[in-house]
Amino acid sequence: MSPVLIGSAGFVLLLVLLLLRIPVAFAMFTVGFIGIWILNGLQAATGLLASETFALASNSELIVVPLFILMGNVASVTGMSRRLYEAAYATIGQVRGGLAAATVIGCGGFAALSGSSVASALTMGRTALAEMDRFNYSPRLSTGVVAAGGTLGILIPPSTGFVIYAILTEQSIGRLFMAGVLPGILLLTLFLLTVLLLCALKPSLGPKGPATTLSEKGRAFLGAIPILVVILLTIGGIYTGVFSPTEAAGVGAALVIVIGAVSRTLDLRSFWQAARSSVVTTASVMLILMAAHLINPFIALSHLPAEVSRMLVAFDLGTYGTLILILAIYLVLGCFLEGLAMLVLTLPIFMPVILSLGIDPIWFGVLVVLTLEMGLISPPVGINVFIVKSVARDVPLSEIFWGVIPFWCAMLVTLGLLVALPQLSLWLPGMM
Amino acid sequence: MRALHKFAEGLIRLSAIIGTLGLLFVVAVIVVDVVGRNFGAPLYGAQDLVMMTMVIVVFGGMALCGREDGHIVVDILEPRFPPRLNRAIDLVAGVLGATIFVAIAYTVFKSAQLSQMLNLSSNLLRLPTAWFQYALCALSLIAALALILRALITPRRPHPAQETS
Repeated sequence: MSPVLIGSAGFVLLLVLLLLRIPVAFAMFTVGFIGIWILNGLQAATGLLASETFALASNSELIVVPLFILMGNVASVTGMSRRLYEAAYATIGQVRGGLAAATVIGCGGFAALSGSSVASALTMGRTALAEMDRFNYSPRLSTGVVAAGGTLGILIPPSTGFVIYAILTEQSIGRLFMAGVLPGILLLTLFLLTVLLLCALKPSLGPKGPATTLSEKGRAFLGAIPILVVILLTIGGIYTGVFSPTEAAGVGAALVIVIGAVSRTLDLRSFWQAARSSVVTTASVMLILMAAHLINPFIALSHLPAEVSRMLVAFDLGTYGTLILILAIYLVLGCFLEGLAMLVLTLPIFMPVILSLGIDPIWFGVLVVLTLEMGLISPPVGINVFIVKSVARDVPLSEIFWGVIPFWCAMLVTLGLLVALPQLSLWLPGMM
Repeated sequence: MRALHKFAEGLIRLSAIIGTLGLLFVVAVIVVDVVGRNFGAPLYGAQDLVMMTMVIVVFGGMALCGREDGHIVVDILEPRFPPRLNRAIDLVAGVLGATIFVAIAYTVFKSAQLSQMLNLSSNLLRLPTAWFQYALCALSLIAALALILRALITPRRPHPAQETS
């Protein structure tokens, strides 16, 4: 059996195991280990298992994963992430669709703290859905905006998606974070425009919210200051080079803990819960990364990437054509596969193609992460839709999926703009 | 059997506590290092401390992650599978996961023996690498135990689509 055939068989086995609901990491470990055993012997497989596991677990760059997760979890339990929503609510809540727009801004703010789309959807869902329901917003708009807004977590730094991409492709985490800033703001703006357009076309979707007094606005803004300080310090610190991403994550986590303790919104019990939950999430992410470091050598040994590269080159689509084809594959896969699994499975195959075409890996990282984001609300898997459903139990699932369609289209427009204008992703990292 | 279950649960909790304390320790080390650097006195060996504690953080959470079904799965077909098949898959996944953790523990143990023989250590503080490799082995075995417990004893949770639709 040729290595390519073994590689292809391994890939099929992996897909079967994944569809059978075997945990992603376990399926990858199994296929990677057996594949290397067949292609390079048992000693190579066991050697790689020992070395990669310990190397990944003691990779100091990866400490940003638990630290940013901790920062997001603590910000969530202290209600800090809600404050930005409240400030936006006080400012634009009284315009048509204003509460939905405030939700988008709140999601963006939470995204800048946590890096987790699911956490964003859950937190904002709990806060914003009840408010929008109170002011007779259409459930289609309210649930759609929370599910879609929540996805901003994976694009706006700090983003777990960027960290994983950086580790798998050996790119700079800091540069990728910076690359996500403008696309994140662009997408947030397009989400806001989508809300306003929908409400202009059909005013009953999002009636006007309550008017607020100047003092209420001022109070809401004061409440949002801590979250703004944390965002500025962490993201700004990385940009200016004052902090490495690891330091920014550590300082950011410490800052939200101190703010929570000082403002008495964080008790010892909820703090411990947040920290414990961060460790559990970290374990699940890190195990997949370890498995990726076992399956990637297997895929490389099978010469599968070279074969795929040859096939794509044979199509003769040119640089942009090939890039668009790869992004289309990501969009389709995103409908069925969990984002992290998709990233880990596809990057070893597509990355050599991308590099051989001279495509900037930072730019490609932004595009890929955006497609992952689209997968979070694409049927039938769309995890964020299920998260919103768990909060909005009375709203049918189909209604939420209809609700996210306009926002999915906004994401597609963003993707088009980012493909057409690479500088949107590359300008900030280029200034570092 | 009950006593064994209780003992295993205790180990899983202890493992998570160690991981959580490790994470908080890392936060403290980074803050002390950053603040110290501003005063011209960064924490000596901060990188070593972060690197080695990371092993504890990552593997400390594995057992609880396994017991709480925290590992990421593609559950697109789950609602379409009969309950008996889902139960069988849970069992296979648990056994497979446990085997993987035992394999990790075994291979890293061998590697730790080698590190001990070669006196491998971290760059600045000279923390022996083997200590952390042995810790990884122990935490891996607890994670294997948690997965076996989860597969054999704990009832399965419904899929979100089944739960909410």
